[in-house]
Amino acid sequence: MALRLIIGNKNYSSWSMRPWIGLRAAGIPFDEEVISLYVPGSKEQILKYSPAGKVPVLIDGAVHVWESLAILEYAAEKFPAAGLWPSDPAARAHARAISAEMHAGFAALRNECGMILWRPPAKKALSPEAQANIARIQELWTDARARFGAGGPFLFGKFSAADAMYAPVVARFATYMIDVTPQVATYMAAMTSLPAWREWRRGALTETWVIPKFEESYPTVPRLPADAA
Amino acid sequence: MKLVIGNKNYSSWSFRPWIAMKALGIPFEEVLIPFGAPLGNPDFKAQIARYSPAGLVPVLVDGNIHVWESLAIFEYLSETCPEKHLWPADPRARAEARSIASEMHAGFGPLRSECPMNFRRPVRTRELSAAAQQNVARFEAIWNGCVARHGGPFLFGKFCAADAMYAPGVARLHTYGIEVGRETRSYMEVMMALPAWAEWKAAALRESWIVAEDEVDWPTVLSA
Repeated sequence: MALRLIIGNKNYSSWSMRPWIGLRAAGIPFDEEVISLYVPGSKEQILKYSPAGKVPVLIDGAVHVWESLAILEYAAEKFPAAGLWPSDPAARAHARAISAEMHAGFAALRNECGMILWRPPAKKALSPEAQANIARIQELWTDARARFGAGGPFLFGKFSAADAMYAPVVARFATYMIDVTPQVATYMAAMTSLPAWREWRRGALTETWVIPKFEESYPTVPRLPADAA
Repeated sequence: MKLVIGNKNYSSWSFRPWIAMKALGIPFEEVLIPFGAPLGNPDFKAQIARYSPAGLVPVLVDGNIHVWESLAIFEYLSETCPEKHLWPADPRARAEARSIASEMHAGFGPLRSECPMNFRRPVRTRELSAAAQQNVARFEAIWNGCVARHGGPFLFGKFCAADAMYAPGVARLHTYGIEVGRETRSYMEVMMALPAWAEWKAAALRESWIVAEDEVDWPTVLSA
């Protein structure tokens, strides 16, 4: 039986994007079910799958895995040939450390620059805390690329779960037109050229569900056209 | 291996890998770097930078490999010391253990900020916001569900990394006199009876550094 990944809106749900792009880019087959968040009934629908009441959830027969990191670990164990984590132990430990840092951190950036893939790119004034988050993220991407990235354009050369964890940050940097170094711009270009990235983004731009609390100028909802490059 | 940690009285993130390594019998050398201002260690930033680019404790140092973030440390130990069984052996239980460990890693913000880990503080009841009360209810559901499904006395039978992730949660519910159900209390007692728990707590009580932002009655510092 195929794996099933339960996710939220592709436009807004950064946590959903992580395992989705991780599994897709690693070539692990799965069916998806999208639940529009913050509408009547969505909480109940999610609770059917996850006792934590949150997306994403991966369902593999009787096994229900929630939290993006736990899903990526589960997939890495079940599909070792997909190489979701780097094969070198030092690189793997580093990849898990920066993934966990993403999982629990960068709150200011996440609050101030919500993932809204259909938002037309524009700059926004940011707090010193969010700017510190941006500096740390640029530093850790550049450091991982310098140490472990020789074999390809991603953080550890070839695409790994660590890239999946940072995929929504790449989206935020692009949407809020964050000033980045040339090395970081190159990394972001590698991410946004992934077929999996493009597929997710196309899905987001064609969604119709609007979540008012995530829209900065609601009831106005500025949107890129569905076929934006 | 070296484990770099912060103050035992306050550093909940440090407590997690420390108690796991002690309880599972993984030998390590401890390096304690006390936190900074206002009444602590002015050199914390410079000292931690030697070990961790993120500037955070804990950090596990194994030769030239530096692993930071408690979850990443557990995954590293699980691979390097497979005989210590950091995670449950059954794949389904292991997936569940990782899910609840990740849920702890990224969640429970209201409870964590309203009830900072503080071993020195005498048990004294604290009123919680509705959001923190929901966090407590979720702790109880997770713990009691795991103990019921896997037979106890720990979340997955034997002590594992998931228990270590929730160890500071146990300390918080205890210190702030949070009302919990009988089963929850039994799990807390099992955790607090670990020799590793007693060792950490005794060392915490010997510390004299004060971190004002973790003292909820500041400028009063309650001490048992």
